[in-house]
Amino acid sequence: MTSITDPSAIKHRAILFDATRCIDCRACMVACSVENQVPNDVTRIWLAGGEVTGEYPNLQRASIPYHCMHCDDPACASACPVGAYSKHPNGPVLYDPDVCIGCRYCMNACPFDVPHFEWNRGVDEHARIIKCDLCTARVDKGGEPACVATCPTDALLFGDREDLLEYAHQRIKEHPDRYIDHVYGETENGGTSYLIISHVPFEQLGMSTDIPHESVSELSEHIMEFTLPFAFTWGAVLTGITIATHQMHKHGESKSAKETVEAEAKDED
Amino acid sequence: MKIKLRVPEWMYSPGVWALVLLGAAGIIASMARMVYGIGAVSNLNDAYPWGFWISFDIYTGVALGAGAFTMAAVVYIFDLKRFAPLVRPSVLTGFLGYAMVAIALLVDLGRPENIWHMIIWQNHTSFLFEIGICVMTYLTVLLLEFIPVIFEGFRWNSLVHLWHKWLTYPLVILGVVLSTLHQSSLGSLTIIMPEKLHPLWWTPFIPVLFFVSAVTVGFAMVIVESQLSSRAFGHGLETDLLKDVAGWIPYGAGLYLILRFGQLAFEGKLGYLFSSGIYSVLFWAEILLFAIIPGIMFLQKRFRESPSGLMWGALLVVAGLVLNRFDVSLIALGGRIFDTTGYVPSIPEMLVSFGLVAISVLVFRYIALNFPLFESGHADHHVAHAAGEQVVPAGD
Amino acid sequence: MTKTISRRDFLKVGGAVASALTIGTILPPQVASAARQAGLLDAQGNGSIPTMCEMCVWRCGVLARVEGGRVVKLDGNPEHPHSRGKLCPRGQSGLMNTYDPDRVLTPLIRVGKRGEGKFREASWEEALDLVAANMLSIKEQYGPEAMIFSSTHNLSQVQFENLLNAYGSPNYGTQRSLCFNAMIVGNLMTYGMEEPGRSYDTLEYIILTGRNLAEAISTSETGDLIHAIDRGAKLVYLDPRFTKTAAKADLWLPIKPGTDLAFHLALLNTIISEDRYDHNFVEQHTVGFDELADSVASYTPEWAAKITEIDAETIRTVARDFAAAAPNALAHNGWRTSNFENSFQTARAIAALNALVGNWGVAMFAAAGEGSSALGAPPQPPYPRISAIRLDGVPWKYPLVPYKLGVFQELRDAIIAGDPYQAHGWFISRQNPVGSLPDRARTLEAFGKMDFIAVVDIFLNDTAWIADVVLPEASYLERYDPMLPVGDKAFLRQPVIEPQGEARSALWIYKQLGERLGLGDFFQYADDEDYIRQQLAPLGASLDEVKEKGYVLLPQEEEEDIYHWNTPSGKVELASDTLRNSGFASCPTWEEPVAPPEGQFYLLTGKVGQHTQFATQNNQLLHKYQDEPRLWMNPKSAEKLGLKDYDLVKVTSEAGSVNVMLQVTQGIRPDCVYMTPGFGHISKGWTTGYGVGASDSVLHISYTDPVSGSQALSQTFVTVEKA
Repeated sequence: MTSITDPSAIKHRAILFDATRCIDCRACMVACSVENQVPNDVTRIWLAGGEVTGEYPNLQRASIPYHCMHCDDPACASACPVGAYSKHPNGPVLYDPDVCIGCRYCMNACPFDVPHFEWNRGVDEHARIIKCDLCTARVDKGGEPACVATCPTDALLFGDREDLLEYAHQRIKEHPDRYIDHVYGETENGGTSYLIISHVPFEQLGMSTDIPHESVSELSEHIMEFTLPFAFTWGAVLTGITIATHQMHKHGESKSAKETVEAEAKDED
Repeated sequence: MKIKLRVPEWMYSPGVWALVLLGAAGIIASMARMVYGIGAVSNLNDAYPWGFWISFDIYTGVALGAGAFTMAAVVYIFDLKRFAPLVRPSVLTGFLGYAMVAIALLVDLGRPENIWHMIIWQNHTSFLFEIGICVMTYLTVLLLEFIPVIFEGFRWNSLVHLWHKWLTYPLVILGVVLSTLHQSSLGSLTIIMPEKLHPLWWTPFIPVLFFVSAVTVGFAMVIVESQLSSRAFGHGLETDLLKDVAGWIPYGAGLYLILRFGQLAFEGKLGYLFSSGIYSVLFWAEILLFAIIPGIMFLQKRFRESPSGLMWGALLVVAGLVLNRFDVSLIALGGRIFDTTGYVPSIPEMLVSFGLVAISVLVFRYIALNFPLFESGHADHHVAHAAGEQVVPAGD
Repeated sequence: MTKTISRRDFLKVGGAVASALTIGTILPPQVASAARQAGLLDAQGNGSIPTMCEMCVWRCGVLARVEGGRVVKLDGNPEHPHSRGKLCPRGQSGLMNTYDPDRVLTPLIRVGKRGEGKFREASWEEALDLVAANMLSIKEQYGPEAMIFSSTHNLSQVQFENLLNAYGSPNYGTQRSLCFNAMIVGNLMTYGMEEPGRSYDTLEYIILTGRNLAEAISTSETGDLIHAIDRGAKLVYLDPRFTKTAAKADLWLPIKPGTDLAFHLALLNTIISEDRYDHNFVEQHTVGFDELADSVASYTPEWAAKITEIDAETIRTVARDFAAAAPNALAHNGWRTSNFENSFQTARAIAALNALVGNWGVAMFAAAGEGSSALGAPPQPPYPRISAIRLDGVPWKYPLVPYKLGVFQELRDAIIAGDPYQAHGWFISRQNPVGSLPDRARTLEAFGKMDFIAVVDIFLNDTAWIADVVLPEASYLERYDPMLPVGDKAFLRQPVIEPQGEARSALWIYKQLGERLGLGDFFQYADDEDYIRQQLAPLGASLDEVKEKGYVLLPQEEEEDIYHWNTPSGKVELASDTLRNSGFASCPTWEEPVAPPEGQFYLLTGKVGQHTQFATQNNQLLHKYQDEPRLWMNPKSAEKLGLKDYDLVKVTSEAGSVNVMLQVTQGIRPDCVYMTPGFGHISKGWTTGYGVGASDSVLHISYTDPVSGSQALSQTFVTVEKA
């Protein structure tokens, strides 16, 4: 078990990844593909970093298995028009392919660019979004996510989010010369359940450091709340204008009709 | 026995043939998408999930259909009845435009068979949900607004009368409310992407900007559509109406400029105006094409009153608007973390969009030739008469 | 587009039809009901069955999750010391190995010409009869030595060896000489055992010479290394390439190929001359120290610096830090040490280095071999006498190479030469010599001399492609194999699902063949389960118990004096009389390696974490996550040749040439190029793997170290040009 919290005591499921331990073997990716029956032409986990950087012989390479961050306030769930995403009370962000309409707004909304799409499926094959679900079924049965369970170097740890954050900060404190002093995912997008500590700056590995540290959904949802009140108000205003303009013109019409009649009457005279 | 073959008129027109071929190509490409998947037909990928279809069919298509609600508002809400002749074609343009949006959605949606899901599964925090419901409803409104033309074509005059008495005004008001909502919400879709949309475009104020620009381009599209159909169907151009419509454009453009620059100043983003490389170029191109040049043009009588002046000015507005919609939905939407291939629309992708436009032009043409599209309509008879207008008999 | 997998129609393999077996009364065990009996599967066919992986030789314990009679997931068995609950990417992909659409599921008999890949399906009876008839005919006409038996290493190896010994052929080809002969013989000469065990628990300083643990993954050991580094252990890593292990090292030394020996001799020199060695251990437990000291006296860091292209101060510092960390210091003996002809000397130097810091019992300790005296075995008569000499020159040309290792490339060359006699038949099990032997053209030439070739495998690999008969082995998830002791337990491999099609276990195949060869007495087990029961008999454990747990506890031997080695002196031999008396240097000695002429590169080989040598390139899951196999070249060299990243280039050696795509990377010395091994398959029976990448075996020239028989794979020099 690579869980640092007693499985029965986990309130908020999370994963901690330590880049210093990762050897880019991709066992996590293979395990995930098998556990979740992911088709061969798509993947739920992919590689951030992994290239050799620097100039010979001063070289470096590091890698991070990249997948859904399971945000505390997921933008995908906020944006999906049919609510195909839901935030499980104990952590994972889940996706329901049966509800999905394939609009792919989630792919734009996600600040981490996580959701991937099955582009090469015909209508009869029911294209889905492909995304990690923290192996919810497996964890519900008392196990760990498949990636965590198999990682040969324990680069991946599972547990309660609070415990993992404490652990991560402890590691950073114990080895200040080894780690970047930041736990990626602690505050990004308002906090996520996939936490990362690294010896290499995150942006060097292709991770985005432009992600706001509060949830991107907040403002959008706030503005969205005005929609109905605005609609009714605007409708009322328009109705008012309609009545007013018609009254004005009727008055003007009857005035000009009167004038015409008077003029005609005058002509007849 | 001799059988007389009658070759339909349209088969002699190369323009129509071109539209038919384009439409057919679009249908074939769409079928390929259905069988093989979006990836087989388009260059969309995980770094660019939205591309030409969304920018052109949805964003641009919806904006360019704005003439329907603006002209309907002008005539029915603001009671400027003399503009009535412009209502029907713009409502039809709107209806066809929105119908095209709906069909284009069937191609772009990953699961078109689930397109109806929004009715049952509703996420009220999603601007896309709001757009979906509004567009669905508005399409119905447009259809209902337009149907009297069909009734008149069949000479069901009492039905027409009933329609106008009870339905037209509620429909128009509903149409304006729905349009306001979804025109602005198309911009609001980007509020959740502050890390992706370039600071020159990202703003919580974007719904207002989108609405104002939609209204303005609605007027411009009325001019464009009138020009094109007067040439295609050989009837006169209502220059005296169009010159007034053109006169409204500077107000829209001006208001847009004030709001746009005001927003940028308020948010402290004026620094980006000239220092953002290609994005600065795009921004200024938008402003010039959409607002400044046509705004200045239409402040002058000679442009407002000449057919070519009207056309050029209006086209500039449309061009600027299209650029703006493409910028917001695609070009200025960056910040992709795993971009390996970039995105350029493929030929089949564009064929779907252009094919759909071709088909809607053909439908427009059919209706224009067979139904009283360019009349003011039965219920407006007495109004037009009172205003001293010549009533064009139906079936001309 | 979604990838569609097409079957080769003319093979028409697979299918649910089990053809009637008319051979004796032996039927494959009814797995499902047996598993249910043992309580492993419920009535719906769901459950978890413990077994062992076979995707590489580490053989991690596996828990196979079965649903409705299908394997759906493999997880590491927490109770197996090699997995400890984990599996590497290959282990995780194992069910794709079993469900690969290219599996050979019926016996095949060739109908076209060799190399056309045209086979017809046959019954087991016909196929086995044909193989036996040919083997008997060869035995009769040319003697049993004319039949070559080769197999890489399977858990059923004991029965493979049984077959060849009973048949009477001395010619046993394993892939050992292509891999770790240098290391094994080096350890045998120094410690009297093939490979001491290692413990990383307290290590503070580690020197890895090659042994790219991050990519040549041995699950538990790879984990141990990373944990040691995590704890603060320092890693010094020698490799001309910046591998994933180099990325974890405190000190990556891009050493000139062939000069690892100089580096280690300089370490010995420094530690001895600066008196930093463990006097206690050296005096009490080693012999030959003085001779060693004399032998390395001239190998100063300055001397080594010129040769290795690593500066002297660095070498000196490493020596000092290594010695300072004693006994928590380990110089890893390596694994695939088939690099240069001097690799044996390197292995000797490393072995001596460990002795000097006295890390025995802390970092290194005696390891049990693979056999265990606690397990039983079926009875059998004594083997027939073998009078013919081996074709591979053991022991008459290679006196110190153990029989079970052999010198495979020498065997292949002797087949071509027909010297001292001509071989006529080749029986191969779980091995791909066409892929793995250096100089593929010569290997194909050797096979061309065969009257008869039979292959036991689960796929049509490159060698099966040119065979006359292919016998489909059941995959590791579908069969029993003899039990394997690891640590204090003996682990069981058991079938997790019914074997698909006609596939059968090697245990069954060898017995069937044995019986037809008149050697039935050597295979006294009724069926696979009976074999296991006979193994368990001395332990008094029931098969059902063992099936449930996946292992049986072995009686623990009393802790003997750990300071005892199986050498002639009973101690660690820093100077070896055995070597001296065989005409070789008694102490680690400098041997100048060859270097490429101007304009040519060292052709390096290595490992990737997503594949196992030549065996896995058809696995769709591994194919999905592999890096594209391209030729590595430093940008400076690429620029000189006018080459760009992704150019198609032609790589040429004296043995042949291949076309491969270029990868311009900073991660390699400018005088080297590197090809990922294991690609460039020629068998069209591999729809996923066929035609991907290029084979370095086409380019490799055979060089053999006279002491250990080890192949020198890095001594091949190549030119690279635009294709």
